[in-house]
Amino acid sequence: MTLQTTLQSIYDLPLSNAIRENANAFPVLESLHVLAITLVFGTILIVDLRLVGYASHRRSANRLITELLPFTWGAFVVAIITGSLLFASNAVAYAANTEFRLKLLAILAAGINMAIFHATTQRTIAQWDETAAPPFAARAAGVLSLVLWTLVIFLGRWIGFTLDVLF
Amino acid sequence: MSIQTFGDWLYATPISTTFRETTWIIPTVQSLHILAIAVVVGSALVSELRLAGVLATDESPARVVRRYLPWIWSALVVLLASGMLLIVAEPARTLGNTVFWAKMALVLLAFLATLLLRRPLLRDEARPAAKTVAWLLLVVWIAVIFCGRFIAYT
Repeated sequence: MTLQTTLQSIYDLPLSNAIRENANAFPVLESLHVLAITLVFGTILIVDLRLVGYASHRRSANRLITELLPFTWGAFVVAIITGSLLFASNAVAYAANTEFRLKLLAILAAGINMAIFHATTQRTIAQWDETAAPPFAARAAGVLSLVLWTLVIFLGRWIGFTLDVLF
Repeated sequence: MSIQTFGDWLYATPISTTFRETTWIIPTVQSLHILAIAVVVGSALVSELRLAGVLATDESPARVVRRYLPWIWSALVVLLASGMLLIVAEPARTLGNTVFWAKMALVLLAFLATLLLRRPLLRDEARPAAKTVAWLLLVVWIAVIFCGRFIAYT
């Protein structure tokens, strides 16, 4: 099965068809998608700014991360589910869209950046958590995360203007 | 002058035409608009969940509100400015749209509730905040987001 036939069979799914046929389905899914993205970005912004060295409502960076990350993850799951449904409704066109592909790459890069931070810098967070300025690695992770998630939002909005087929 | 004639006049102005014809302007302004909404949502989420007694209950409400209220005000300024640019670019899409006016009413409600019920918390540490209001404010912001997206479909 080639990629093209796979995309076509996703498009042909009864669920995809239902999203296309129901006038309210697409805007409702899009609204939930935007809500989820604002929650992801809004909560990650607070954590990233703390990593850059900007004060937050928690003195401890580690405490701030453990307090807000469940919200980021919860919202991210909602964004993935709603995003997948939006994709399914028009799979062939989304897969061919450059901004959509770049958006997936930016999300992947943001994920790798976060994984590296958790696996390395966060392990030694106790050394600076409440007492010192964050080290370069933490500040770099924070800035990179902000840049990548901003890019994700811009690319996401751009898809709406560049997508080939609108049913 | 009715809203209809104002919208028609605005649409015909050179600045409106430029905004529409320069392809990157509307998506860029919309992206900035979403980023600013994310700042409001993140700030409101942490503040209101603190006031609802869910998050960071060992920190004083005043301390949490003091941290996030300036972000809400700054983001609202960005939202107002970017929103006005979008109205200038496409007056008919917004000014003649019921969902747009519903969104404006909800934004005004959220703004007034934040101004009248959240700002006083900064000065008075002991002032009690109603948990119901905190949940209601979060619901209003969510409704604002739904209205914003539905403007494109009505």
